[in-house]
Amino acid sequence: MSQLKIAVVLSVSIVLQLLLREVWRPLSFIDFPLIVVVYIALQREAWQALLVGTIAGLVVDAMSGGLIGAGGFSKTLTAYVIYFAATRINLENPLLRIPVLAAASLLDSAIYVFWHRVLGYPPAVPTVQTMSYRLIATTVVGTLALYLIDATVAERSAQRRQFATRRRVARRSTGSLRRR
Amino acid sequence: MTLLVTNLIVMAVDARDADGRQKVLRVWTQTFASPLQNASSKATGATSGFFQQIWHFRSTAAENEQLKQRLIEMETELHTARGAAVENERLRALLHLNEQSDIKNIPARVIARDPSVWFNTITINRGSSSGVEVNMPVVTPGGIVGRVITVSPWASQVMLITDEKAGAGAVVGQLGSGALGSVRGRADLGVALIEMRYVSGLEKVEVGDYVMTTGQDGIYPPGLNVGRVVEVKNGTATQAHQIYIQPGAQLDRLEEVAVLLYHPPPRSLPEQTPTSPEKSRR
Repeated sequence: MSQLKIAVVLSVSIVLQLLLREVWRPLSFIDFPLIVVVYIALQREAWQALLVGTIAGLVVDAMSGGLIGAGGFSKTLTAYVIYFAATRINLENPLLRIPVLAAASLLDSAIYVFWHRVLGYPPAVPTVQTMSYRLIATTVVGTLALYLIDATVAERSAQRRQFATRRRVARRSTGSLRRR
Repeated sequence: MTLLVTNLIVMAVDARDADGRQKVLRVWTQTFASPLQNASSKATGATSGFFQQIWHFRSTAAENEQLKQRLIEMETELHTARGAAVENERLRALLHLNEQSDIKNIPARVIARDPSVWFNTITINRGSSSGVEVNMPVVTPGGIVGRVITVSPWASQVMLITDEKAGAGAVVGQLGSGALGSVRGRADLGVALIEMRYVSGLEKVEVGDYVMTTGQDGIYPPGLNVGRVVEVKNGTATQAHQIYIQPGAQLDRLEEVAVLLYHPPPRSLPEQTPTSPEKSRR
């Protein structure tokens, strides 16, 4: 995924996070930046995933009443854990993404709440209830979003990658023939 | 690892600033974030307006073309007029609040709500350039909303009264009544209710009683409406009442608020204890 594309997708996800709460409060349970982070981490792009996690977390923190850096920390760590799992286990199957998204949401919430409690800033909402709603909303919307990306963007990019490899192989072979 | 440590340092710096003090890091981030929040607030208004238009269009689809067109025009006009009337009423109420009290106030518009689900702060479009300071009370004609926790030049962040860390000294009934206590939010109650503590079990408290600020917290001036008692778990001579209050301000639907430019009177220092004769002999 190109860096420009990542920047655009991340910006859109942050704007959605900002706007949807204004429209209807329950929509704020969907963590759009986290879905982007999970997607990039599943592509096994370590640096991009970690950077996107940090940036997304810090931008949302800057506009929220919580501690600046808590969201950045939780999303960065979540991105690393998913990247680590994706490099060892095959998570290409769309069905496997459901537990991955759920685990990411749970891990992100747990780290966020942990740091706030440790530093004396308890969240203003019931923790377990909010974690559960967030898990359900992010998993459902995230699964659909990743499926859509797979069906549209990812297929084309995979095809392009295949063509590029074939072209490279063809060039090499024609080059060696010329030399002969 | 570097990114994690950086986040940890930022978090520690932000947490170090105690409550009631200006948070340097937060001021900077808010200065840059407020234009985005302002723009998103306007965009949300435009989007919901667009969907409302579609809704109006759908509801009149069965009628003939000419009447439908006329109806849409009429409804749009009526909707605009109603919106203007409601806004006018709210602003008039804020103005009335200004006339009513000796404390000067600044009307402000809510430009953003907390994007994370964990906190209930709001951001208003007035900052230090308008004279807003940290810990100033924010109110609506219905009652108190909360206090300012961060001020940047053009925006401020407000902690709602329903937050666990946002307490206020309050009294049930009129000022001078003995039913004194403190109100604060509780995570499990959400924005719908707040809890009042430390009211003596010997005081008479009933559902429907009004709760006012006492001014003892050093943030809110005395005599402001907090809300109305909706539930009382009666205490005893040794146990305080457990009182639940419905906030007077509609905290989930805030659009315009007023920041009171209130500076609480300085607290008198406790008298010095007399030195003991033994110490003075030494």
